[in-house]
Amino acid sequence: MSTSTLPVSPTTGEPITTIARRARLGLWLLIVADVAGTIALVISYSYLWSLNVNGGWAPPGATLTANQTNSTLPTTPSTATFAVEWPFWAILFVVVVATALMWFGYRSARSGNHAGLMVGAGLSFLVTVAALIFQWIQMSTFPFDAGDGAYASAVLLLCASNIFHLFLLLFIGMGIFMRARKGLIDKTNWYQAQLLSYYMTWVCIAFLLGAILTTFMVESPNTDPAIFGTFKQQ
Amino acid sequence: MSVDTAVETKTVFGAEVPQPPQHGAAGGVMRGLNFGTGLIGGIGLAAVAGWVTAILTPSSASNASFAPMEPTYVYLAVLLGWVVGFMLGMGAFVGPLRWVVGRDITHADAEYMAGKDLGRKRYWKYTTDHKVVGIQYLVVTLFILGFAGLLAMLIRTELGMTWTSLFTPSFYNSMIGTHGIAMIIGMIVVISGPLGNFIVPMMIGARDMAYPRLNALSVWLLVAAVPMLVSSMFMGGIQDGWSVYQPLASQAPVGMLGYQMTIIIFAISTAIASVNLMTTILTMRAKGMTWSRTPIFVYGIFAASVMGLYAFPFFQYAQILGLTDRVFSTSFFDPLNGGSVWLYENLFWLLGHPEVYVILIPSMAVALELMPVFLRKPLFSFNFAVAGIVGVVALSGLVWAHHMYMTGWAPAANYPFMLSTEMISIPVGFLVLVAIGTFWRGTAWTRLPLMAVYAVIFNKMIGGVTGVYLSDVPADQYFHGSMFVVAHFHFMLMGAGLFGAMAGIAFFFPKMTGRILDERVGSIGLWTAFIGFQITFISMFVAGLQGQPRRVLDFDDQFNLSNWISTIGAYIIGIGMLIFLSAIITSWRSGVIASSNPWGSKSLEWQTETPVPLENFPVLPVVTERPYNYGVPDPYEAELESIDEDLTEKAGTK
Repeated sequence: MSTSTLPVSPTTGEPITTIARRARLGLWLLIVADVAGTIALVISYSYLWSLNVNGGWAPPGATLTANQTNSTLPTTPSTATFAVEWPFWAILFVVVVATALMWFGYRSARSGNHAGLMVGAGLSFLVTVAALIFQWIQMSTFPFDAGDGAYASAVLLLCASNIFHLFLLLFIGMGIFMRARKGLIDKTNWYQAQLLSYYMTWVCIAFLLGAILTTFMVESPNTDPAIFGTFKQQ
Repeated sequence: MSVDTAVETKTVFGAEVPQPPQHGAAGGVMRGLNFGTGLIGGIGLAAVAGWVTAILTPSSASNASFAPMEPTYVYLAVLLGWVVGFMLGMGAFVGPLRWVVGRDITHADAEYMAGKDLGRKRYWKYTTDHKVVGIQYLVVTLFILGFAGLLAMLIRTELGMTWTSLFTPSFYNSMIGTHGIAMIIGMIVVISGPLGNFIVPMMIGARDMAYPRLNALSVWLLVAAVPMLVSSMFMGGIQDGWSVYQPLASQAPVGMLGYQMTIIIFAISTAIASVNLMTTILTMRAKGMTWSRTPIFVYGIFAASVMGLYAFPFFQYAQILGLTDRVFSTSFFDPLNGGSVWLYENLFWLLGHPEVYVILIPSMAVALELMPVFLRKPLFSFNFAVAGIVGVVALSGLVWAHHMYMTGWAPAANYPFMLSTEMISIPVGFLVLVAIGTFWRGTAWTRLPLMAVYAVIFNKMIGGVTGVYLSDVPADQYFHGSMFVVAHFHFMLMGAGLFGAMAGIAFFFPKMTGRILDERVGSIGLWTAFIGFQITFISMFVAGLQGQPRRVLDFDDQFNLSNWISTIGAYIIGIGMLIFLSAIITSWRSGVIASSNPWGSKSLEWQTETPVPLENFPVLPVVTERPYNYGVPDPYEAELESIDEDLTEKAGTK
């Protein structure tokens, strides 16, 4: 039989190409759910940015114009201000590098270059670890806390979403590297590396959306916001 | 064993398939794991997490409103510990960890995990066979609906006893909220879970779902979510309705975390189940099963999965943001710090309305699926039915703001949303028309499943017509927040949804259990519940028209009569449901043994033997005709007959 040339699933006996097609579709659908969740965060950020309810979008110490700071929030005097923008792009760059390395590994696997697969998957994993560390450092050094207004909340949740994605990439990336080391990913059976490459590409887009929001939608355009009373019980 | 030198092979569906090395007995560590170890893991880790958190949390910790945070942190830790520990104890992480270390599952492992030769034990394990998962879903769903139904009885008892109060207002509110969300979860799952998992793979001629382990994951995540919801009642409860509007949710007792964690976990379960069902339907249909030969029930399940996939994340993220507001003092929904309660309402209803169709479409699809079987005629305009389903899915994401007419959010948007909401009644109307058209001049073989379809269509029409009033902005100004709304959505979700589920369960019961559902007892239960349902909710329409607000414990005396009637009706529903449940239980235990195709259906799931073998079909089927060609001469046969006639004629001439 042709089992030696055409790999098959040990559990169902189906050709790997069939399993791969099915897995690709499943991944695309999971990405749809992930996109919907990310859109929920994007909506949250942009909605609160556009409304600036009670003037509470900006952190209390943020400079809004040349002679105006956001003193609306009735908190203790604070130095909390907007986050520096470049780290969002820097972390995005690191994730893009990790993704490019994974794509290199996947393409190497397809062409039968096992060493290339190992290098690509291994380096991609390490760079993802670096991205996670950078993301963590950024989150822990923001010039605001979670309670410093809507901007602070939205930015922190975007970063938390990034961290969730990075942990997921680390888990899968480690699996790809270890499986590649065992020879379970090769010229005839490379679809799992392909799936990770696809997913990492989507993660780059999610990071890009966050970077765009935190760069181009910082100060609220609503300078005459609605003022509501607080509904909190005292 | 020296297995490393030569690759072992195993016969899998007739082919010799190379196997990865088998480490130990088939199933490995999964052999020792089951529901019991899940409970031990969940309770154990919950206890440890809560204890450690209590030690680490300073007693002075408080949130932005100066509320003490220790109970919040401890309860959250307990919930997280429960979920992780339970799934760990069930064996949910075994597969992913084996994948990471490159120890792939063999055919023997897969057979063990599918429950081969495990007998009834397989229902208590992380079993991957879609039939077992379907039964597990059925039992869990019945438990959820039973729990929510019990709360409904208590609520109606309180409202019916107009001369006194049984419960405190806060506990009453808590019952309302818990009843609502438990019913919603139960109704979302009641068809897509048991029937989607058990029936759909067989209906399309597949051996299993596309991702069997994800299938097990989705049902056990649901199991993990249930105790979190129940626990919230003991932690102050969900006091602001099933929609948990902000800022009430942020001010609510710590039990709100139970709701939020339940939704977060349930949304993961739903996303996984949706992906699995959609991939199965798209890639594993039998040879020859073109889209025009795919049964309408499959379309219904597919549509529900599509809506669940894109809409649930909004609900999930609404709860994540609400949770961070409560636990980490973020301010997404706190107007004082720049948040907006309208943000919550938008995120919530972006799921909240598609969810209605996640419940309704499978129910209508069940009705349309079994009507041709009992009327012995093809579905009236199959294409029209498909167009109806596609239309509902397309419009479902464009109607959410009709729940927000009266909130003051974007008044200018009210009229476009009124238009889109009224437009969606067109594709929904398609489905009703297809049902009526199928009945037209049909000779009904009136068995229990078809009786339930009568109930579905009746309830659906009342629910649909009253919904048109609520979608209308001027009318909604009067009806909003009244018992009229409550009656309307019960007609849709329970009247159409639950009765549709009863139809489906009665219809597929022989295939799922190998026995016939007791028709006499089942019919008594069905019609008792139906009569009680009409009494309860038509009276509630009257109370709503009179102006009785919903979610209110004490009300004016003018509403007493309609509330007494509704409460009597609710008890009748309860009695009917218990009778139906007793029919299920007794028939399952000792009912008449069913043949493989007791209804004479033409679809694939009935063509395999009962009890269904592990691999479903000894040989994968090939589909050669549409699923509902009852009473219609097969065109191919007709062609052959005409050729025969021609040949006979020619022979005669010679």
